[in-house]
Amino acid sequence: MASNATSVEERRERARRRKPKRQIRMSDVLAWFTLILLLLFSLVPMAWMLSTSLKTQFAALQLPPEWIPSNITFEHYIRLLSPGSEVGQEFLRYFWNSIFVSTMTTLAAVAIAVPAGYAFSKFRFPGRQGFFIAVLIRNMFPAIVFLIPLFIMMRTFGLIDTHLALIITYLTFGLPLAIWLLKGFYDNIPTELEYAARIDGASRFQAFIRIIMPLSTPGIIATAIYAFIIAWNEYVYALTFLSSRNLLTLPVGLQRFFDEFVTNWPGLMAASFVMSIPVVIIFLVLQRFFIQALTEGAVKS
Amino acid sequence: MAVSAPQQATGQVATRNRREPKNVFQRAYRQWADYTYIMPALLAMFFVIAYPIAYTIYLSFYSTPTAGENVWNGLTNYTSIITAERFWMITQNTMYWTIVSTILAFIIGTAAALVAQREFIGRGLVRGIFLIPWVISHVATAYIWVWIFHSDYGLVSGMLMDLGIISSPLVILDSTTWAMPALILVNVWKDFPFIMIMMLAGLQTVPEHLLRAAKIDGASTWAQFRHVTLPHLKGVIIITLLLTIVMNLNHFTLPWIMTGGGPASSTHIWITEVYALAFRSLRFGIASAFSVILFIIMMSMAYFYVKAMTAGDDRRR
Amino acid sequence: MAEVRLDGLIKYYDDVLAVDDVNLTIKDGDFVALLGPSGCGKTTTLNLIAGLIDLSDGEIWIGDRDVTDLDPKDRDIAMVFQNYALYPTKTVYNNLAFPLQMRKTPKNAIDERVRKTAEMLSITHLLDRLPRELSGGQQQRVALGRALVRNPRAFLMDEPLSNLDAKLRVQMRAELKRFHQTLNATMIYVTHDQLEAMTMADNIAVMSDGRVQQYGPPEEIFYDPANLFVAGFIGSPAMNFLHGEISTENGVTSVKGDPGWVYPLTPANAQKASHCTSGRIIIGARPANLILSREEHPGMIPGSVYTVEPTGDTTFVHITIGDQIYVAITDPFFRAEPDDPIWVDLEDDRIHIFDEATEEVLREDGLNSQSIHGKKTLQPA
Repeated sequence: MASNATSVEERRERARRRKPKRQIRMSDVLAWFTLILLLLFSLVPMAWMLSTSLKTQFAALQLPPEWIPSNITFEHYIRLLSPGSEVGQEFLRYFWNSIFVSTMTTLAAVAIAVPAGYAFSKFRFPGRQGFFIAVLIRNMFPAIVFLIPLFIMMRTFGLIDTHLALIITYLTFGLPLAIWLLKGFYDNIPTELEYAARIDGASRFQAFIRIIMPLSTPGIIATAIYAFIIAWNEYVYALTFLSSRNLLTLPVGLQRFFDEFVTNWPGLMAASFVMSIPVVIIFLVLQRFFIQALTEGAVKS
Repeated sequence: MAVSAPQQATGQVATRNRREPKNVFQRAYRQWADYTYIMPALLAMFFVIAYPIAYTIYLSFYSTPTAGENVWNGLTNYTSIITAERFWMITQNTMYWTIVSTILAFIIGTAAALVAQREFIGRGLVRGIFLIPWVISHVATAYIWVWIFHSDYGLVSGMLMDLGIISSPLVILDSTTWAMPALILVNVWKDFPFIMIMMLAGLQTVPEHLLRAAKIDGASTWAQFRHVTLPHLKGVIIITLLLTIVMNLNHFTLPWIMTGGGPASSTHIWITEVYALAFRSLRFGIASAFSVILFIIMMSMAYFYVKAMTAGDDRRR
Repeated sequence: MAEVRLDGLIKYYDDVLAVDDVNLTIKDGDFVALLGPSGCGKTTTLNLIAGLIDLSDGEIWIGDRDVTDLDPKDRDIAMVFQNYALYPTKTVYNNLAFPLQMRKTPKNAIDERVRKTAEMLSITHLLDRLPRELSGGQQQRVALGRALVRNPRAFLMDEPLSNLDAKLRVQMRAELKRFHQTLNATMIYVTHDQLEAMTMADNIAVMSDGRVQQYGPPEEIFYDPANLFVAGFIGSPAMNFLHGEISTENGVTSVKGDPGWVYPLTPANAQKASHCTSGRIIIGARPANLILSREEHPGMIPGSVYTVEPTGDTTFVHITIGDQIYVAITDPFFRAEPDDPIWVDLEDDRIHIFDEATEEVLREDGLNSQSIHGKKTLQPA
C-alpha cells in the first residue's frame, strides 16, 4: 500500500529512478568461471603457436618457456611469404594449390547441393526416402574406409597425382551435410512462393532460379564455407593421392616442412598460423550464417 | 454444361484412375524432371560411395601380392585379422580413445553451449573463439600440440619444470602411458566446438514458455535444466553423441601425425591400422577386409542414426 | 474472363482421398466461395484448378480449353495466397511487374499496368519498398495487385483475408466485392469463414470430406440447407437439432423427443416427415426460431435455463432439454436465473426436418434436388 503522505507524482518519480535489482546468483558465478576456463582452453594453444612463431629458433628452445618473446622477429613469416626464397616459393605454391582445390570443390559442391537440397525439401518422388538415407549414411562413414578403393579407382582412371582426384573426393565428403543443411533451409521457405511464381507465368525451373535461389543465399553461403573448410583442411587423401611436390596442398606440404626442418619450430608454427588464417577469417566473418543454417536445418524437429 | 447422364454407384467413381499410374516406374517416368535436380548428386555419390563399397568387399576376399594377379582366398583375410592378438589390442585402444574422447568432449561442449547461449556483451566473439579449434586443420592442430608436448622444450614440460613440480623433462608422446591421454586431450580440444554448435542449435528450440512455467512452479535453474531442457534435447543429444562417436572412430590425422600409432602401437586405432596395412605394407586385401569389418560396425550405428534423423522428418509432413 | 468447369475431380495423397468426385461449374463472371471446415478439401480443389498439384482423376476446363494437363503458367489464372507469398527480395514494384515480365510484356506497357494497378489499390507510395517493410494490410493489397495487374481468365483466392485483423477484414471484404463487380471477374474464393462467403459470393459451394455438399446462392444455403452438415455448419450460433421419433395419433403427427417431450407437427411438416424411411427424424431450428415462454402451454417442449448471455441488441439463452443444451435468441430484456423452468415453441414454417438415418433434408415432395453428392455437375440453382 502506498503511504498517504506521498503524492502519486512523487511515487511515480521514485519508481522511474529505481534500478532493477542486481543480484548475483550461484549459477552466474559458475557460468563466468566456466566461460573463463573454456576461453583459456581454446586460446592457450593458439597463443603459444603465435608466440613461438615470433621467436628466433634459438629463443624458442629456451627454458623456462617465454610467453611474450623478448625480441620479436618476423623472419619466419618473411621467409615463408617471399617468392624469392626457396622455402617461400614452395610454400606459396602449396598455398595456391590449396586455394585452387578448395575453390573448385566449393563451386562444384554448391552447384550440386543446391538443386538436390531443394528437391529433397519440396518434391515427393518415388525413391526419395532411399536417396535421402544414402545421403545420410555417407555422413556416417569414415573418409579413410573409402580411401583404398578410391585410390585404386583413381589409379585406373589415371587420376592419381592430379588435383581433379582431390576435388571429386572432397566434393562427396561435403555433399551429404551440405544437402542436409540446404534442405533445412528450403523447408523454411513457404511452398506458396514457388506456387505464386508458377501462377505468375514461371516454369518450375524459372521459379527456382528467380525466386527461391536468391532467398537461400544464407544457406548457400553456409554450404560454401563448409565445403571450403573441409577441402582446405583435408589431409589423408591429399597425402595418398598426390606425389609430385609441385601439386601438394598445404596440410601435406606442412608435413614436408616438418620432416625437412625438424627442429625449426618457429618456422613450423608460422606456417601453421598462415595456413589457419584464411579459414579462421572466413569462418569468423560468416559464422552467423553457419550457425543459422545449422539451427534451422540440422537440428530442427 | 451439366453432365446429365446420372452416374452409377459411388464405388464406381474411384475405380477410373487414368491419371494416376499405379506402377512405380510409370510414376517415376512422369516425374523425370524432378530427378534432374538430384541427378548430379546421385552420380557423384555413386562414383565415390557405391562403387568403392562394392570394390572393397570384392578385394577383401583376395590376397593382393604387390606383383602379379590377385588371388581368391576366401575368408582367410578375415580370420587372420580376428585371430591376431594385435587386433584385440588395437580394438582396446580404439574403445579407450573413442569412449573417453566422446564423454569429455560432450561434457565440455555442452558446458560451452550453456555458457555461450547466455546473453552478455561479446557473446558473438566468445562463440567465434570457441569455434576456432574446430575450424583449423588437423595437421596444424597436431603440430601445435606436438610442440606443446615436446619433451625437452615444450610448454607443458617447461612450465612444470619451472614450477618445480618435476625436475627432469617430462616424456609425454613417447610414453606408452601418457601418449593416449595426451591425444585424447587434443581430440577433445578439436571437437568440443562441434558439440557446442549442435547443443546451441538444440537449446534454441527449447520453448521459452516451458521454462517460464517451470520457474513459476518454483523450479531452480538446475531443476529447469534437468526437467525441461534435457528432456527436450533428447533427440539432439542422441544424434550428437552418435556423430561424435563416429567422428572419433574415424580420426586419423591426429594420431597419425602426432605419434604415428606409437610408441609400441599404444596409440594405434582401427583407422590408423587400416591405413598402415594398405599404404605402408601395401596389403590391400587384408586392409579391405579390415575396412569391411569397420563398415559393419559403422552400419549398425548408421541404422540408429538414420532412425533418429528421419523420425522427425516424417512426422512433420 | 471465362467459365470454369470441374468435372469429376479426384485427388489421392498416397492413400488419403482428399478430393472426392467434385463437379462444379463456375459461371463466367461469377464469384464463387468454396466454404468448409479445415481439411475438407477446399484448398486442394483450388490448387488443382491452379495446376499446382497433379490431379488423380477428372478434367478441368477454363472457358473452352481443357487445361487438365497444362502447367500453371499456361492456364492464364491469377492467385492470391493466405500468406500473400510476396517475393521477399523484390520491391513492391517488381512484385507487381513479375507476372508481366514472365509474359514478355514490353517494358513501357509493364510500367503503365503496374502504376495503374497501384493507383487502383492506393499503394503507389509503397512501390519502392520491400515486402518486409509493409504492414499486413499493405502486403495483402500488394498480393491482390499482383493478381489484378494482368487480365487473367479467373482469379483464385485462398483465404486471402484470414491473416488480417477483424476491422481490416471487414474493409477489405467490401473492397474485394467492389473489385469483383467492377471487373466482372470470375473468382473462386476459398474460405472457412461463413460470413465472408455469405457477404461476398454469388454462389457458395459448401464442402466437407472432399465432397461438395451443396452449391447455391447464399440465401438458399442458409434458408434451405440440403443436409444436416450444411444446416449445422452455416449460421451462428449454430442450428439446434432435436432428435425424436415420429408417431401418429388421431390423425395428428407428432414427434416424440428422446427426453420424453411431444411436439405436434403442422400438416406441411408432417408431409415432410412422412418421407422418412427410418421413423426417426431430426428437427432443425435456428436459435432465432425458438420462442421461449415462462408458462407451460400444451405442445411446447419443457426445459430449464442453463445460462443467459446478453450480447447487446439480442440475448442468447442456453436451455437444457434432456441432456442437451440448445441456444435461443431473444429480445435484450429477457431475464432469467439458472435452472428456471422454461418452455420452448418452434416457428413451424421455419424449421427443417432431416431423416436421422441419411441426414438428408426431407421436403414435401420427397425430392431432394440439391444434395446430390456430386453425382452430376452442379449448377447453382
